[in-house]
Amino acid sequence: MEIPHEVTPRRDTGLYNAKLGIWLFLASEVMLFGGLFSAYVFLRVGIQDGVDNPWPWGLNVHKDFVWLGFINTLVLIASSVGVVFAWVALKERNWKLYQRYMYAVVGCAVVFMCLKGIEYNSKLNHHFGIKLKDNSVMEGALVNNTDRIRFEGTSASVSLQGAVPVFIKSIPKGEFPTFKVVEGPGSEEGVELHSDSELKAWFHKERRAISGKLTEERKRYRSELASGVANPTPVSVSSSAKLTSSEPFVLNANPRKVVLHSDSVVNFKDGSKVEGKLISDDVEFIVHEVDLQLVLPQKQRESMVWNVINDDGAKQQFFEQQDTEYRHLREYYEPRGEVIPEKMLRGHILNLHDVHLGGHHGDDHGDDHHDAVHKSEPKPSAEGAEEAGHEREEALHGDHGHGGEHSIKVPREDIKFMGNHGPRYGNYYAIYFTMTALHGLHVIGGALVLLFFTVFGKKLYLKNPEHLANRVEVGGLFWHFVDLIWIFLFPIMYLL
Amino acid sequence: MAESTHDWAKHKKSYLAVFIALCVFTCITLALGLVPWLDFGPPGPTPADFVVGLAIAGVKSSLVALIFMHLNHEKGLVYKMLVFTFLFFLSLMALTLFAGADPIREQYDTYETTNGKLTEEL
Amino acid sequence: MSAATAETNDQAHEEHHHVEPFWKKYIFSTDHKTIGLQYGFTALVFLAFGFFLMMVMRWSIAYPDRAVPMLADWPWFQAWLDDGGKVTGDLYNMFGAMHGTIMVFLGIVPLAFGAFGNYVTPLQIGAPDMAFPRLNMASYWLYLLGGVLMFVSFFLPSGAAKAGWTNYSPLATTTDIHYGDLFWTGQTQWLVAMALLITSSLLGAVNFICTIINLRCRGMSWMRLPFFVWAMLVTGFLLLLAFPPLEVAAIMQLMDRLAGTSFFVPTGLNVSGMAFDAAGGGSPLLYQHLFWFLAHPEVYVLILPAIAIVAEIIPCNTRKPLWGYKTMVYAVMVLGFLAFIVWAHHMYITGMGPAISTFFQTTTVLISVPSVILITSLLISMWGGSIRFNVPMLFATAFIPMFGIGGLTGLPLAFSLPDLHLHDTYYVIAHFHYVVAPGTIFGLFAGIYHWYPKITGRMMGTRLGHLHFWPSLIFMNGIFAPMFFQGMAGFHRRAFDGGKAYEQISTQIFAEPNTFIANACEMLNVIEPDAAVRMIDLNIVTSGSAWLLAVFQVPFIINLFISKFIGKKVNSDNPWDATTLEWATPTPPPHGNFLTEPVAYRGPYEYSVPGEARDFSPQFEDDPSTIPSEDKKDKESEESSV
Repeated sequence: MEIPHEVTPRRDTGLYNAKLGIWLFLASEVMLFGGLFSAYVFLRVGIQDGVDNPWPWGLNVHKDFVWLGFINTLVLIASSVGVVFAWVALKERNWKLYQRYMYAVVGCAVVFMCLKGIEYNSKLNHHFGIKLKDNSVMEGALVNNTDRIRFEGTSASVSLQGAVPVFIKSIPKGEFPTFKVVEGPGSEEGVELHSDSELKAWFHKERRAISGKLTEERKRYRSELASGVANPTPVSVSSSAKLTSSEPFVLNANPRKVVLHSDSVVNFKDGSKVEGKLISDDVEFIVHEVDLQLVLPQKQRESMVWNVINDDGAKQQFFEQQDTEYRHLREYYEPRGEVIPEKMLRGHILNLHDVHLGGHHGDDHGDDHHDAVHKSEPKPSAEGAEEAGHEREEALHGDHGHGGEHSIKVPREDIKFMGNHGPRYGNYYAIYFTMTALHGLHVIGGALVLLFFTVFGKKLYLKNPEHLANRVEVGGLFWHFVDLIWIFLFPIMYLL
Repeated sequence: MAESTHDWAKHKKSYLAVFIALCVFTCITLALGLVPWLDFGPPGPTPADFVVGLAIAGVKSSLVALIFMHLNHEKGLVYKMLVFTFLFFLSLMALTLFAGADPIREQYDTYETTNGKLTEEL
Repeated sequence: MSAATAETNDQAHEEHHHVEPFWKKYIFSTDHKTIGLQYGFTALVFLAFGFFLMMVMRWSIAYPDRAVPMLADWPWFQAWLDDGGKVTGDLYNMFGAMHGTIMVFLGIVPLAFGAFGNYVTPLQIGAPDMAFPRLNMASYWLYLLGGVLMFVSFFLPSGAAKAGWTNYSPLATTTDIHYGDLFWTGQTQWLVAMALLITSSLLGAVNFICTIINLRCRGMSWMRLPFFVWAMLVTGFLLLLAFPPLEVAAIMQLMDRLAGTSFFVPTGLNVSGMAFDAAGGGSPLLYQHLFWFLAHPEVYVLILPAIAIVAEIIPCNTRKPLWGYKTMVYAVMVLGFLAFIVWAHHMYITGMGPAISTFFQTTTVLISVPSVILITSLLISMWGGSIRFNVPMLFATAFIPMFGIGGLTGLPLAFSLPDLHLHDTYYVIAHFHYVVAPGTIFGLFAGIYHWYPKITGRMMGTRLGHLHFWPSLIFMNGIFAPMFFQGMAGFHRRAFDGGKAYEQISTQIFAEPNTFIANACEMLNVIEPDAAVRMIDLNIVTSGSAWLLAVFQVPFIINLFISKFIGKKVNSDNPWDATTLEWATPTPPPHGNFLTEPVAYRGPYEYSVPGEARDFSPQFEDDPSTIPSEDKKDKESEESSV
């Protein structure tokens, strides 16, 4: 059996099957990315000023990355050209040249993904932000996972229904203590659990036992009901257990999994509870920027952020810079006879990168950081931005310990929201990561297919070169589409 | 598509020309973003910036689609398909936006609930 | 299934003389017929499962105070029933959400599009197989994987998804959010499974469209395509272009759940009294837009194959051409186009303004025009025919009024004012179930009875068929007709106690005083003459009908399996004396379908052509005067492509 029009185009449609198929597939891809573009526009247009997080203007977040994006655009364009040249080489029956072009294309894909990886890594690991209760935001870097609640546990209570308790995940690797079951519904009291896999096995066993007991109890209850007992004894099966550890164990609890914590107890969202002693729940943070875009102008001077930073110099610098920016805005709007839009008045970002901070950091730094603050005069914005860009590039390359970067302690109860610049951080980041990751998956998929045609194509080439040329054309169509998507992603994600 | 008689050199030339054009347009896009005096309207992204940025992207993508993806040689079937796809994409985006822009009442209440006495102070 | 394909392959062996291993023949088959049967059986299993979920829900609605019979001792139900064995709200929510999801995405679409489309489409256009056989296999396996994930999610500690089949955010984003491992919660698995199902449907749609456009046999010009193929083409486009936005929505909601983004999480969201830990700024409405952009065309994906099956069966059994074939083709295309711009009529109560809701009301009312054209054409097709009321024809005939009721009761929902009252009531449930349950499912049953002889070489039993049809018709109406009254009285669809809040609502509509019915009731001592019927008591009618409906599916299942062995053997390859190309193949069709390359010589529905000796003139039978010249064929297809 042979399927018609696998290689030769059908006369009335002018297409062979695979080409028609890929165009149909691309049509659905248009709708897929179209849905995401619609989401982008909808989310961006739908921002309510002063309530939702403002859309970070592409360049503000991307100052460091815009060049990566630019290079990536060129790389993808080059690879697109590579595919058409490879196809032409195949049409001219030049296998060697075809292979060379195709390897170049796959190489471009690898370069693209590497640059993407650098960008992701930097966003996820080197940028962190904290939003305080009054919506003021500090951007900077986190010191050693201090967003976790550091806790010293001695005992834990778990519910034996539902899923495996989350607190096990908060125990650092290799520091799992020996737990002893002290209170439990089963006959298992006194059992010792040495590792998390043992704990999980114990948990599953107990859960089964309890569900068996529950079945029995309910049977009894229903039969009592059926036999007409007015008030049957209610079903009661204890399903909680308590574990104690021989020695205190370290717990780095993910705040997203915790409902409530106090000096002596951490309550997790799934109902498990660890008792012990709180080591510290302060977030240690190196401030690079202060962002008061969500704070009303008249409230900015009393914003919580100044209590947290506790540095008059920085505050003064912020407002001096704000004045400068206002002046720039006035210079733009006043000659045009327009009023400065309120949105513009609100947004201010202070770049503190060159400022030494250390309000909470003991006396030994005290003097010199104050000096530094006073020395750093507000600069004209363009120059300042450039300099900041340089310094941030240094930060990007992992150089966090350079001159006078000091962390401050941010009390957890002041924090409304915090996170790295991952997808969680705001809708810009969310759509950025979703779209670029989806696009990246397309790049990987396309590159694998093209690589397959290059490495294993020889057999087909010898049998029917036109068939291989068709395949490369179809693979190329997909590849160009991936390029086409990036052409739109580059301006909307990095520049606008 | 004619096979051996085809003038592939001509094709290659046009591909190279498109490549150069794409690179140039990319540089223009970047310049529009980076150089302050090329920024349209007040600082920051404004509708004018979007129109220009997306127009350049549109030109670039149509170059890719027409030349690299051989859409200029394609028969009507593919065009019809793409036109419908594009229409549906536009309807998805436009109608969603219209629906968002045409609420049954204004959204003042969100200000009050989330930011305390914000509306009064304004 | 295996026996059927065994015969198929026996014939294939005779031609090709090579033996394929078992797994390649039956499991990882690339033959469109085997894949069609795989789709069909999997979908029937899921339909039965979805039906089971609904029966449990109906118990809770009819008898909220009584323990569920039989199920209380099943181990799985231990975790979800309460102490006395009654259905809990969680269980009801879970079953409600999964009933909808399973019926729509795992039951009807795969049965209608996957099974019938796969089996019949290539045969009807004279193609040896689908355009991409391996892709076809991949779609089936992705579908099965998605289905299995949906099923497995019931056994997770969190249970399956509970936020309704629409999975609206932020409810769906925050459900079960307290679990440590968010990936293995039912809500997340729903999204993962949906992504797989969507991918499967997309690949399937590409394959179908490509097959129909490129693999038509010689002479099969656009206006000679059977209506079923046209419907498949339009359905394919609906799936192809409408599913991606839902995939986007699924991906974004997955991000919301797993990565903590806030695409659909508004600023300042509180969940059970605590601020929800997310950046905010998202829009729940965006989810609804993306969801309904798919889910409205999905309605047409559900109904078009059924209409098309009925359109195949009616001409065949009335021995008359399909009335208004071209009109129907254009109607179905217009329907397909309009289906994309009506979605927000599901969202009138989300606070859309008058301008945009006027737009959607207009398009929604417009779309009823092609639907009515389709159904009217089918009705007129029967006019003056000498109708053979065999079992498929019974189902096809019943389809028309059932779909008609479903469609016409949708009109009040198209306008925003009545919709404000009726939204989320049992009225809506009754409306769309009339379209898909007695509508689509009757169409699909008709198709099974109709094509069974082609698939197996034996007819399905007529007596069992009647035993299946008549009770089904009665009980389908018994289930859904009372819901209209309940819905108009305001009963909310998601009340797991069956609407105890509406207990006091009663009506005299069923027996108004001094009317014929009231007098008859009085005479027969059925009810008190002036007594009002409590609306809530209709729950018992509905639930009873549902369980009886289940009982009367048993004849069908028996029929389906035993007819393979004891059914009446067909006397020719064309037992119904039909005209389309699938009846030109050997029975059952071998791998590669046709023994000689088929040619379509005429239109698809040439029944009772004046001057012909027989009352049918098959497409595949030679008639030298009508062999199309290639030029003419080209011109025709250029004109009407896509």
